[in-house]
Amino acid sequence: MEKLFMKGNEALAEGAIRAGCQLYFGYPITPSTEIIEYMAAHLSKRGGTFVQSESEVAAIYMVFGAAGSGQRVMTASSGLGISLMQEGLSYMAANELPAVLVDIMRTGPGLGGLGPTQGDYFQATKGGGHGDYHLIVLAPDSVQEMADLTATAFDLADGYRNPVMILADAVLGQMMEPVSFENIHVHTYEKPWATTGAKGRQRNLITSYNLQNETGEIKAIHLEHKYQAIQEQLQWAESYQTEDAEYLLVAYGTSARVCKGVVHALRATGVKVGLLRPIALWPFPTQVFQSYLDHVKGYLVVEMSAGQMIEDVRLAIQHQAPVSFYHRQGGMVPQQEEIVAQFNRVFLEGGHTS
Amino acid sequence: MATVTVKDFRNDVRPNWCPGCGDFSVQASIQRALASLGKQPHEVAVISGIGCSGRISGYINAYGFHGVHGRALPVAQGLKLANRDLTVIAAGGDGDGFAIGLNHFMHSVRRNMDVTYIVMDNHIYGLTKGQHSPTSAHGFTAKTTPTGNIENAVVPAQLALGAGIDFLAQGFSSDVNQLVSLIEQAIQHKGFSLVNVFSPCVTYNKVNTYDFFRENIVNLDNLDGYDSTSRVEAMKTVIETEGLCTGLIYRNDNRQDFEDQIPGYLTTPIAQQNLQLSPEIFAENLKEFA
Repeated sequence: MEKLFMKGNEALAEGAIRAGCQLYFGYPITPSTEIIEYMAAHLSKRGGTFVQSESEVAAIYMVFGAAGSGQRVMTASSGLGISLMQEGLSYMAANELPAVLVDIMRTGPGLGGLGPTQGDYFQATKGGGHGDYHLIVLAPDSVQEMADLTATAFDLADGYRNPVMILADAVLGQMMEPVSFENIHVHTYEKPWATTGAKGRQRNLITSYNLQNETGEIKAIHLEHKYQAIQEQLQWAESYQTEDAEYLLVAYGTSARVCKGVVHALRATGVKVGLLRPIALWPFPTQVFQSYLDHVKGYLVVEMSAGQMIEDVRLAIQHQAPVSFYHRQGGMVPQQEEIVAQFNRVFLEGGHTS
Repeated sequence: MATVTVKDFRNDVRPNWCPGCGDFSVQASIQRALASLGKQPHEVAVISGIGCSGRISGYINAYGFHGVHGRALPVAQGLKLANRDLTVIAAGGDGDGFAIGLNHFMHSVRRNMDVTYIVMDNHIYGLTKGQHSPTSAHGFTAKTTPTGNIENAVVPAQLALGAGIDFLAQGFSSDVNQLVSLIEQAIQHKGFSLVNVFSPCVTYNKVNTYDFFRENIVNLDNLDGYDSTSRVEAMKTVIETEGLCTGLIYRNDNRQDFEDQIPGYLTTPIAQQNLQLSPEIFAENLKEFA
């Protein structure tokens, strides 16, 4: 299998093109800028096109327009720019428009800094814009997954008619690893709702305004049922050395990469520990946790934030075992030995505080 | 305080701009203009946006706000209304002011609050390492225009005149004496003022270099009989030079600024007002709920 040595951001962009993305609209922002530059360099040679818009607000509405035509379209930014897109995302969710957006997280709040972080978890998984909606959120932990999950994101977006977000950080965007694209193919979906020309059929109107409260409720129930279906069908996590695990680390993205090293280090000292890595962050893989509830003695959540995903972990395990936490912030990445020390402190030396 | 000098507006933060960046001259010119106007650091606020140029608020010893991309002008206006005695300078780049912030720029001109806006216009996005900007020329190649820019450039001076600006000047980082004078006049003008500065990016823009501007700029100071009080002549000059002119382009001092037209807006800044209620007024107010 041929492999290329690429940056995460470049692999993500190439994966998108190979999955049939022919339209890209965006605005440069560190640490995501390689994505727009890759699209600028490659899309027009491969039948597509792109615009560097005047702002992220313009970009998300260009995405909105292109998605309405049924074409595969993407944008990428970092937290600050994603904040500007929230209005458009809410409207896209309401109009059930499929598109892929990428958040290569940098630190916040505010201008923050350029270092890696996982501080946009709430914004990504709990809405971010107004109203009762969800994005599907996928979290890669390697350059290969930057490409693969982006291709999958297009299929999920088309299949569920919903915007899908790739949530990654500066480490995953900037680092280089070997990557293969051989398993990425274009899958096509019927899109009778798209604005493709109404000759011979009823016109399609894309609108999220409800003229009557009664129709508003019907629409809300429709969305609610769709999100319920996604929650049932998309429970996606990697279980790493969990078969005999008495303790579980829970982490995603870059934190999860570090935690795999922690699993090896702790197992070398005889501790039965594994890693649960949520790949879909929304819907959160609550059902995956169920099979561990009766024998796992404790959980250690590792995040690069003050504690965001840990709330979903607590809900998933329903307080049946202690949940502890280790985190670094502001652009700092948790180190393996720090996590090992925290694990030993809370679970083996009896210092746990939940 | 003794006489103010340029040193009073310096701090110990060393700019991380590339050697040769035009923004060094803009910073020095702002500091010189403030000193020569006799301003004290506590009487000045520099509000900046995002980009290489946005760092300028951190390099000048005055009140400051290193802001949000494109939003320096709304922040500056909010501050000005809260403390009208402050000399408020907004500063940013061409991306900040004429891409994401363009609507704020047009409305700031129209509103005409007493704020000075200094743009460091390098025709490129430098901080994100070299993408085209709204002032990049048609045909310009950059990382996001690998086969040449197919959009037309914004001409800031033309936009400003179109929106009805009352003080418009353009400077060049190589001509600090002219730039200092323009910034002084802009600060003294009562109302919104724009000083658009051609401030070359030596790292990412190999087209719009110091030499390019030296060869192409028309310096209005050297034009005999140029009438900077004529809006028509200003617009004609900007169109004829395709925006590449420096000096005082247009000035009109015959219009009131926004603040002076606000009904009941006191000359004492809101930030300085005594908000302590006297017992008499408090008792009077309570009667309504009796």
